[in-house]
Amino acid sequence: MKNRVSELRTAAGLSQGELGKALGVSRQTINSIENGRYLPSLPLALAIARNFEASVEDIFIPEGD
Amino acid sequence: MSYAQTAGHRGATAAVLVVGGGGLAVATWLGGEHGLALGLVVFYALAAAAAYFWSGRDSDVGAILRVGGDERQRRLDLTATAYAGLAMAAAAVIGAMVSAARNHGDIGQYGVICVVGGVAYVLSLAVLKRRS
Repeated sequence: MKNRVSELRTAAGLSQGELGKALGVSRQTINSIENGRYLPSLPLALAIARNFEASVEDIFIPEGD
Repeated sequence: MSYAQTAGHRGATAAVLVVGGGGLAVATWLGGEHGLALGLVVFYALAAAAAYFWSGRDSDVGAILRVGGDERQRRLDLTATAYAGLAMAAAAVIGAMVSAARNHGDIGQYGVICVVGGVAYVLSLAVLKRRS
């Protein structure tokens, strides 16, 4: 599963720590999501999407799509 | 929301180490092994101090030691606990085999650990299955 979290976060001018704080998770978790090492739960994926005013499908893209 | 970070308490793991280690040291003292009991007090005091200071750091392990953390950190803790449980189960099964071979079929206390572990797993599975 690829994702655009890093791209959207950078475009919004946020650090990993700031995004983590906004979402209520740790900086390490944001880093793991961005690097594809951790796939977030549905509630967290929805929160990420809401934070960037995008849909989950816009941010999380299955491999091969 | 379930993904959110839970604060936890910095002294949580340290308190478990102090209480558990203290109980073990008292039992060892009562058993007559005074030197070993004092050694256990020193060991668990150092372990509790290390856990307390480590839990203050902004890290995955720090969050887990505070018995808090976000969904990923809780999953790390759960997975590590599962691996530790597997290691303990393997040790108990091997211990039961060795005990049975040495003591004319008596699996001893290792057998009790195996039974407790097996029953706890089955009951947990039954409860969790009903909830999900």
